[in-house]
Amino acid sequence: MSDRYDLIVIGSGPAGISAAINGVIRNKKVKVFGSRNLSEKVQKAPRVDNYLGFHGITGNELKDVFSQHLEKMQVEITEEKVDAVYALGKYFAITTKDNSYEATSVIVASGVSNKKSLEGENEYLGKGVGYCATCDAPIYKNKKVAIVGYDVHAEEEANFMLDVASEVVYIPLYGQPEKIKDGVNVVLGRPLRIEGNEKAERLVLHNDHIDADGIFILKDSVELDQLVPGVQIEDNHFVVNRKMETNIEGLYAAGDCTGKPYQYLKAAGEGQVAALNAVSFIDNMQ
Amino acid sequence: MKEVMDATFVEEVMNSEQPVLVDFWAPWCGPCKMVTPVMEELDQQYDGKIKVVKVNVDENPEISEALRITSIPTIVLFKEGQPKDAVVGFRPKNDFEKMIDKHL
Ligand SMILES: Cc1cc2nc3c(=O)[nH]c(=O)nc-3n(C[C@H](O)[C@H](O)[C@H](O)COP(=O)(O)OP(=O)(O)OC[C@H]3O[C@@H](n4cnc5c(N)ncnc54)[C@H](O)[C@@H]3O)c2cc1C
Repeated sequence: MSDRYDLIVIGSGPAGISAAINGVIRNKKVKVFGSRNLSEKVQKAPRVDNYLGFHGITGNELKDVFSQHLEKMQVEITEEKVDAVYALGKYFAITTKDNSYEATSVIVASGVSNKKSLEGENEYLGKGVGYCATCDAPIYKNKKVAIVGYDVHAEEEANFMLDVASEVVYIPLYGQPEKIKDGVNVVLGRPLRIEGNEKAERLVLHNDHIDADGIFILKDSVELDQLVPGVQIEDNHFVVNRKMETNIEGLYAAGDCTGKPYQYLKAAGEGQVAALNAVSFIDNMQ
Repeated sequence: MKEVMDATFVEEVMNSEQPVLVDFWAPWCGPCKMVTPVMEELDQQYDGKIKVVKVNVDENPEISEALRITSIPTIVLFKEGQPKDAVVGFRPKNDFEKMIDKHL
């Protein structure tokens, strides 16, 4: 199995990097997942006036300052998207598409995405609606499946499903698909809702509808309760206390993903609080 | 942990004297692999009180279909031949403990 980290931080915005820096200062073995550009929400800000110490700085300049700070502290960012964090009791397993990592404590600082669920998506989750086509493929042997793909990565899952299901309808939401196999029925359209009775039965598009035994929604960003199965969520945010603890022992959250206000300094402050409490948690575990 | 098949489900699960926790899984499902060690711990922890078994949905489509399993992992708690509670997807161990304790 892989080497175990003391602390894994998911997200490279202000919350995540502030958490990582504070973890490193306390001599913990830290790993950060995110992007080398840190955060689009930092990079794209036209002008920032409310970050203490910086007046009239552009988001891109602020990003450079953050990057230099990380460099000085020798914190590297691993450019892999985390698919899930599993609380296994004594440690956490963190999985990406190709790898799996272990950590004693985890801080989620993944920001917020404003993509809304489809109507009926939550209601029928686990009743014909799923988020992992490859997982559930055996259940749809010789059945009809509809797959909504938010980005090109979903194509792989649709191709895989074709080996098993009798019919695969693929609805790409990003334009023309690139590597979809012949045999997959591509339908362009905007999904509106999922309908059914006891089970999901139909995906309604704005100009069409598709009857299916299974409907998969493959997003580019992971919903918080999919990212951390079993975590407590309220209004699309993690429920945390003043120590930034979630309901899962050893798992902390910081930044926009814990709720409003959505601001850099609040995010950085929460990242710090989360890191310091995670450090105590790690020390107690040893 | 015992593997249960379409052919043995009635005997092992429906007719069991003890409550049975059934883990529906398949070999290529990542989250299922994460659930397995949790199930094994529960199996030891509740030894003598409940049974913990697993069903490979790939090889046992009949029972999965009859119970309308549409996503895996799905973990179902059976008591006196009836499904009493079910969880879809991975959960931390104490979520399963709560579910089991409610039916003991
Ligand atoms: C245009 C714009 C202007 C703004 N101006 C200001 C301003 O002037 N002042 C101010 O205080 N606030 C401003 N904000 C708000 C501010 O951007 C956010 O509050 C802040 O970025 C939140 O930081 P965060 O660390 O919580 O999340 P984010 O900055 O959103 O960072 C999250 C990071 O985590 C990564 N991530 C997410 N999920 C995963 C995963 N599964 N695996 C790996 N990585 C993942 C993302 O790619 C991202 O890099 C502005 C926002 C925008 C969009």
